[in-house]
Amino acid sequence: MEGLLFNVNNGYIEGIVRGYRNGLLTGQNYNNLIQCETIDDLKLQLGPAYGDFLASLPPNPSTSTLAARTTDKLISEFRYVRANAVGSLAKFMDYLTYGYMIDNVALLITGTLHERDTRELLERCHPLGWFETMPVLCVATNIEELYNSVLIETPLAPYFKGSLSHQDLDELNIEIVRNTLYKNYLEDFHNFVNTDPEMAGTPTAEVMTEILEFEADRRAINITLNSFGTELTKADRKKLYPSFGRLYPEGSFMLSRADDIEGVRIAVDGVGDYKSYFEATGMGQNSTGAGNMSGGTGSEGKSLEDLFYQKEMEISKSAFTRQFTFAIVYAWVKLREQEIRNITWIAECIAQNQKERIGNYISVF
Amino acid sequence: MSGAQNREAVFPTRQSLGLMKAKLKGAQTGHDLLKRKSEALTKRFREITRRIDEAKRKMGRVMQIAAFSLAEVTYAVGGDIGFQVQESAKSARFRVRTKQENVSGVFLPAFESFTTEGNNDFGLTGLGKGGQQVQRCRETYARAVETLVELASLQTAFVILDEVIKVVNRRVNAIEHVIIPRTENTIKYINSELDELDREEFFRLKKVQNKKQRDTAIQDAELKATRDAKAAKENAAGEDDKENEESQDILGEQEDADVIF
Repeated sequence: MEGLLFNVNNGYIEGIVRGYRNGLLTGQNYNNLIQCETIDDLKLQLGPAYGDFLASLPPNPSTSTLAARTTDKLISEFRYVRANAVGSLAKFMDYLTYGYMIDNVALLITGTLHERDTRELLERCHPLGWFETMPVLCVATNIEELYNSVLIETPLAPYFKGSLSHQDLDELNIEIVRNTLYKNYLEDFHNFVNTDPEMAGTPTAEVMTEILEFEADRRAINITLNSFGTELTKADRKKLYPSFGRLYPEGSFMLSRADDIEGVRIAVDGVGDYKSYFEATGMGQNSTGAGNMSGGTGSEGKSLEDLFYQKEMEISKSAFTRQFTFAIVYAWVKLREQEIRNITWIAECIAQNQKERIGNYISVF
Repeated sequence: MSGAQNREAVFPTRQSLGLMKAKLKGAQTGHDLLKRKSEALTKRFREITRRIDEAKRKMGRVMQIAAFSLAEVTYAVGGDIGFQVQESAKSARFRVRTKQENVSGVFLPAFESFTTEGNNDFGLTGLGKGGQQVQRCRETYARAVETLVELASLQTAFVILDEVIKVVNRRVNAIEHVIIPRTENTIKYINSELDELDREEFFRLKKVQNKKQRDTAIQDAELKATRDAKAAKENAAGEDDKENEESQDILGEQEDADVIF
């Protein structure tokens, strides 16, 4: 049924995105990349995929500029797709950018709290999270003004509403603010894909629900693991868990009471995937191995976060097996982001002569 | 005299000879002491050089690991956390205190690093993802900074010791090659001058003696001559004058020629 009218509005976009997906680096490409001896070689190898964007780089560019240029390509492609999107797809893509907006807003709030020149902050913002009124944030000099005049106008306002007041912005750790916003955002996004008339009951809802649930679980697990040994209380921690996902509600509840990695392992036992990840990383057995890609020592196996990334990539890859869905846009952006991370990682390894860890990238094609 | 220009301007007297001798002795003692100090410092200096070499190699390794762990953070967080970390850091967790170490009278500053507990400003950075890498990265960099602090205190000691050793060596050389030869020259000069004076004095005395002897001889001869003449005259005048003379001797107050024995 959804296939009947999908292509009227969105067929072109789907075609474009599938084209972009074919442009992603494959395992063969990565094999060539890791053979490179210098960044220049790497640049040459990336030529077919990123030619225009890397052409203006000076010889032997730094890895950060390399990452910036590869991101530029993603941005320009995303903007093109967004410009051609209509209706629900446009809304869907806006939702996609909210996540980056949250990062940008968190950055600006930090800057404002420390009375930094917000103009220089704007340069550091992620271009995908750019919104019309963002430069206005520069005008605001204190948090209350920022909240009342600027944030209230942004699409993020509903995420602030009900869970954060402007006093909170002053007092709470910015990282908690960011995670609260992100939690609200995930819930809202989840709600959106499942209730929007154009999407509810379509493959979009199906695929997106899977992706978002995974994202929610991943955040919950990560927050729990990372909060051990910090001043974050269990009650506060519980507020940061999204209220959906495969772990919700029992798993989340158990996570909120977990004191150590063993507790987390028990909490996620109910979900086969996560359980196997914990077993793969050996985190259930020895609690010292909490590290992921641990610095220099005993990094023979994949870390939990690596496995999460791997899983995310696999979900994204399988999203392309479905027809008539907006989820491929989301999947494409995620795949492309991972690709940028991979390129940066390989470039770092080459630049720092740490070839033994170069194979740590995640490639699914 | 060859050392004429290379000596101190003193009058060649016995007193200044004494002074010079004391000075020479002082200079030699000082030379010995400074030489020993310089050797002690050089020993220390070599040790520090060796440790700097070690520390630099260690720094190279540690910094490489640290830079790599930052790369891991970038990979895991997927963005730039630098700004956030900068902003959330309020007070220093890693601090340095200095103390002094005395090496042969030279004060070398030594830096000692320590971490203040319970000061975990960016403990929540990367809460959503990559938090463990952030923590690990922080630990790695703390280790790197520790190495840097160690290296810094070694380098400071190196520079100071270098300076001091130069000064001490300059002094040793100055004493050995300037002051001691000069004092020795002066002593030699004073000695020679004093000898000269002695010889002059001796010669003068000799001369005086000679002259005296000559004078006495002449006088002796004269006296002898007058005596002889007198004796002859008396013999010639005979007895007639005898009474006269006797009366004269008794009555007259007239003077007689001096009798020289």
